[in-house]
Amino acid sequence: MRWRHPVFVCLILALTLVPAASEEAGVSVRDARVRETPPGMTMMAGYMELRNNTSRPRVLAAASSSGFESVMVHRTVVKDGMAGMVHASQIELAPNASLIFAPGGYHLMLMNPKRTLRAGDPVVINLEFRGGLVLPVTFEVRK
Amino acid sequence: MNERSLKFSIMITTVALAAMLAGVWLAHIYREHDSRVVLLPDQVITLFPDPKPLTAFALTDHKNRVFDLASLKGKWSFLFFGFTHCPDICPTTLAVLASARDSIAKNTVGAEDIQFIFISVDPNRDTASKLGQYVDYFGTGFLGVTGDNEQIANLAGQVGAAYQVAITPGMENYPVYHTVAVFLLDPRARYHAVFTPPHDAKAISKRFKVVRELEAGNAT
Repeated sequence: MRWRHPVFVCLILALTLVPAASEEAGVSVRDARVRETPPGMTMMAGYMELRNNTSRPRVLAAASSSGFESVMVHRTVVKDGMAGMVHASQIELAPNASLIFAPGGYHLMLMNPKRTLRAGDPVVINLEFRGGLVLPVTFEVRK
Repeated sequence: MNERSLKFSIMITTVALAAMLAGVWLAHIYREHDSRVVLLPDQVITLFPDPKPLTAFALTDHKNRVFDLASLKGKWSFLFFGFTHCPDICPTTLAVLASARDSIAKNTVGAEDIQFIFISVDPNRDTASKLGQYVDYFGTGFLGVTGDNEQIANLAGQVGAAYQVAITPGMENYPVYHTVAVFLLDPRARYHAVFTPPHDAKAISKRFKVVRELEAGNAT
C-alpha cells in the first residue's frame, strides 16, 4: 500500500505573518489539545500548532507534565505499509515557521495519566527547548 | 530570445498550467458530486472486481463470543487492525469510522447491516474487557476482536494486512506496527474492497453507498 504525501506533517512557511504577543518567548502555541480516550486507556496523544516567531531556528528537545507519568515527542511514520511510532528527540523549528502536530504525524505521547481526563479538562504540558526555554502550555482535552 | 518574448512564453506557460490544474480540480469536483461516480481508479477505495471469499478463522469478540466466518455473514464489515495502546492512528481511524457510520446511518438504507471490527493484534495486552471499554466508546456497531496469534495471522493474511508486534522482555510499551488500511468485507464474507489512508468519513460513506448500490444491482 502506498502512503501518499504525509500531508498531516506540514511545515508552513509564513514569512508574511507578524510575530504575535509571545514575542519575548519567541515561540507560540495554538490549538493545543489532547484527544480524549476511551475509559481505562493509558496512552493519550497531544496535538498543537507550534510557531517560531524569531529569525533563528528553535529546537524542541523534550516535553514533560505533572499530569502524566511520562511525555515523549513522537512521530507516526508509515513504512512498508505499516504505521509505527518513532521518538523525535530533536525537532528543529525553522525561523518564522509553524510546525503542525496532528493525527498521523507529530504528536506528544502522553503515558499513564495521573487522573482520568475527560473532554473539557485542562492539562499543562511543558515544552522544553534547547537553550533552556521552558514553555508551559495548557492543553484542552477534546473529543 | 529577447526579454519580451521570454516574458510572453512564461505567461503562456503559466496560463496553460493554470488551465490544466483547473481541469484536474473540476474533474475531481465532478467525481465527488456525481452519484454514478467511477470507482476505479480512486484514491479512497480499491474495489475488487472478483471478491475473494474468506475461509474459516476463529477469534473472540469483546463479549467473549465466538467471532468467525458466520459473524461476517449478512453484514458489511469494516475491518481495522490495531491495538489499544496506540495513541494516535487507532483512535483517529476509529473516530473517522464512527463518523462515517453516522453519515451512512442518515442514508435511506441506514446502517443496520454494517459493523466495524477493531482487531487487536496485541492480545498480550488487549483483554476482552479492555477491548470492550475501548470499542464501546465509539458507539454502536463497533466490535473489539482478538484471539491467539495464529488466528489473528490467519485473518490478517486473508486480506493482506501487515502487522508486527515487537514484544521486548522488560519493556512495557513495546512497539506494534500495523497497516492503516481499512478492509471492507461484504455480507457474503468476501474481501470486497480496501480503503486507503488518509481516511475521511465523508469519502468513505460516499464510496460505501456506491459499493452497496453496485452490489445490490449485481444480486438482482
